[in-house]
This record gives sequence, structure tokens and C-alpha cells, in this order.
Amino acid sequence: MTSASTFLIRPRIPRAILALAYRDYAVNRTYRLGFILDFGFGFANLVVFYFISRTVQGVGDLDRLNGAPSYFAFVAIGIALSGVITAAAAGLAQQLREEQLSGTLEMLVVQPVGISGLAIGLAAWPFAFAMLRAALYILVGGGLLGISFRETDWFGFVVVLITAAAAFSGLGIFLGALVLVVKRGGAVVGLLVFVLGALSGAYFPLAVLPGWLEAIGTVLPTQHAFSGLRNATFIGTDWAGSALVLLAFAAVTVPLALLAFHFALRHTRRAGTLNQY
Amino acid sequence: MSTRLERASLQVRSEAPVASRAVLEITGLARQFGSHEVVRALDLTLAPGERTALWGPNGSGKSTVLRCIAGTLDPTRGDVRVDGHRAGTLAARRAVGASLAQERSFYLRLTGWANLLFFARLRSSSEREARLRVAALEEELELAHITAERVDRCSTGMVQQLGFARALLGDPKLILLDEPTRSLDEDARGRLWGALDRRPGVAVLIATHLKEDVERCDERVDFPH
Repeated sequence: MTSASTFLIRPRIPRAILALAYRDYAVNRTYRLGFILDFGFGFANLVVFYFISRTVQGVGDLDRLNGAPSYFAFVAIGIALSGVITAAAAGLAQQLREEQLSGTLEMLVVQPVGISGLAIGLAAWPFAFAMLRAALYILVGGGLLGISFRETDWFGFVVVLITAAAAFSGLGIFLGALVLVVKRGGAVVGLLVFVLGALSGAYFPLAVLPGWLEAIGTVLPTQHAFSGLRNATFIGTDWAGSALVLLAFAAVTVPLALLAFHFALRHTRRAGTLNQY
Repeated sequence: MSTRLERASLQVRSEAPVASRAVLEITGLARQFGSHEVVRALDLTLAPGERTALWGPNGSGKSTVLRCIAGTLDPTRGDVRVDGHRAGTLAARRAVGASLAQERSFYLRLTGWANLLFFARLRSSSEREARLRVAALEEELELAHITAERVDRCSTGMVQQLGFARALLGDPKLILLDEPTRSLDEDARGRLWGALDRRPGVAVLIATHLKEDVERCDERVDFPH
């Protein structure tokens, strides 16, 4: 069994994380059209919601929108943050699946990289890309589609974004462990990420949900990420409580998730399934 | 070269003199897949500089032993230690350079250089050191025509040479090679053995079914089917 010290962040780990992130960037750069289509789809998505917002303008109660001046402003933040949460929660699982399918996972595990370095490094590029995409959505939303950032507390915005990413990276490492063991865990990962987004107010306020669904949405940690980021963006205050909840969630889930990842890797070594897909 | 053939059992122990602390110590290694016991009670010790061949037909358990040493497979029974550390631990992985299944172990859309540099980064303390290591291996193994190509445009033999170069990254104390010369031409085979000869302090364990590979080793451990 690998020693407990494997879980600690070692001085080597940042190099491993950078190496893994740069490798994934280099691989993704070879799919140039994919890059362009990804941003294009995101922009088209924003435009669709822009026109939906214009269609429903004046309908409904603005008080439900976390201070957002319009439905479009509300949903633009939801879309931008959803991408970051999806990357944090599903990035590692997707990367591991690709390593399994391409046959490179075994050679990766042979390298002198600890559990934390491997998990964080594999998730690093999808996460960095999602952050970049979120920044572009915000820029497009503000520059071209009229979202106002006059009230925005940018410090709070960044803090909520980072704590949200940390919180959901714990979930991401859990899902990575699941993929290591069951291989085809993509459906579970996709469903979970969708439910977390949909029930937490990414696209509509929780108040429009039936009471029992609203109750579920209220206790989901994702809800704190969406409300905290919208408060930081549109009110400029009341984001610290959300950030603390997310930080506490991360403090509990990340160590547990790393432990689960360790046991999942050990299971594959025992079962002899590391190089299987 | 001294060779031994012990067809009755895999209970083999190297008789070569141990010059210093063993780089590899395998005690009672057994590995089962379901009810099928692939490796049974293997004992093996490798000293620095010692070169041993695991010799046998396909499916006889040679690669399984290499994987147990590399730490990607746990033994069902027994103990495997690399440089005094249990196989699979960080310290053990630092001491091992492995070339296992070469065909599906590279990032196909990256060049050979980018692949080697990625693995060098994981085994180096600085970017400069990683680049120097790859450049040195590229020159030593005459890989320039391979490292310039994307791996998905390389032949099996070219990929195999990259796999060997990767195993040498980070100056490992123990090199594990699975059928290292299977797809290589004569020149490439010469470069491979030359590189190993230039590393007299490195222990090498080779899984092979080729007599030519066995003849290059000090010891032979037979794996009957």
C-alpha cells in the first residue's frame, strides 16, 4: 500500500501538474477546429439566452434573480459558472477515461507522481480552459450583450469562483475514482453534473421549482456557488457566506476524495485492470 | 553468460554475486487472475549492473512480473522491493524506468519529442534538466527522425525506440523492458544494447522470447508455458 505521505502536496507536485496541464493543452491544440467550435457554441448559447431574455422581459419577478437586472444577466453568470463547475467535477473523470482508452494510463501511473499530483494535474487543463471560457463569456456578455458590471466586487467574484472550483474538484476526484473502477462511468458523471447545475439555479431561480425540488436545490453546494457569484457580480456584497460554505465543503470533500482515489487506484492494481478499458 | 533452465518451477534465484545492495528483490511472488495462476512463487534478486532475461513464450507471465515490479499490478502473494522500497511507492517508481506495452503508451497526436519531454518533466527537477535529458537521449539513440514526427505517423519499430528512450529518462537504477527488440531493425537493436552497455551500473530486467536478447544477458529465468 502506498504510504499516507502520498497524499501530501510535495514540492515536486507543481511541476507534475504543470507538465500534465501543458501536455493536455498541447494535445487539444492539435484539434484546432474543436477549439474554435467550442467557443463558437458557447457564444451561440449566450446569444440564444439573450433572445429568450428579451422574449420574457417584464415577465416574472426580478427579486428572484439574485440582484441580476435581467434574466439574461442571471443566466449568463449561470452558464459561465456551470462550465467551471462541470470542468471541476467531470474534468478528471473524462481525462482518466481518455487515458484508459488510449492506453497511456499505465505509463502515467509508473511515473513518480503522487496521487494528488496525478488527480490535480489531469484536471488542470480542463479547469483552466473552463476558466478562460467563463472569462470570455463574461466579456462578451458585458461588452456586446449589455450586462452591467458597475456593482461588481471583482475580489468577491474571484474568491467565489475559486472556492467553487475547489469545492467541486472534490466531487471531481470522487468521480475520477469511480471511472478508475467501473471504467464506463461517463453517464453517471454527466447526469450528476447536469442535476447539480439544473437544480441549483444555473438557468432559472430555485423559487420556480416545485417545493420538494426547491428544498433539494437549496441544500446543494452548487446553489451557494451560483448565488454567491451573482451577489458578487450584481450586488457587490453578500458573497462571503457562500464562499465560506464552499470552502468548508472543499475542506471536507477533497481529502476524502483523494482517499477514495487512492483506494480506487489500489483496487485497479489488485484487480489487474489498470490497463483495461 | 551463465544461463539456467529450471523447467519444473519458477522458483529461481539469481546466483550472480551481489556487489552491493540489491536493486531488485522479489520474494515468493505469485499472481493470479481469477483462478488462473500466472506466476507462482518467483524469487529473484538483481544487483546493480546485473542484466537478467525472463525467457518464455507469450502468455507465460513475464510481463506480469514486470508490471508487479513497475507497481501497476499488485502481487497476489509475495514481496517486491525496488532499491529497498516496496514496488509501486513513489521512491520505487523513481528508481524504475519501464518500457511495457509500447504501442499504446504514447500520446499519438504529439511528436516523439513532446512525448519524451512530457515524461522527462515528470522525472526532472527543472525544465532545463528535462530538455537536456531528452536532447541527450535523442543524440545517443539517434532518434532525431523519430522525435520530429507525430507518434501516430511512426511505425511500430519507431515507437518501440521511443519507449526505450522513455525508460532511460531520469537515470533509473532498474530498467524494465518488455520485448524491447521485437520490432527493431539491426541498427536500432545495436543502439539499444549500446545504450545499456554504457550504463554498467544499471540493473536490467528483460522479458523476451528471443534468443538474441537472452544472449545479451548475464542470467536467464525460464518461464515455461
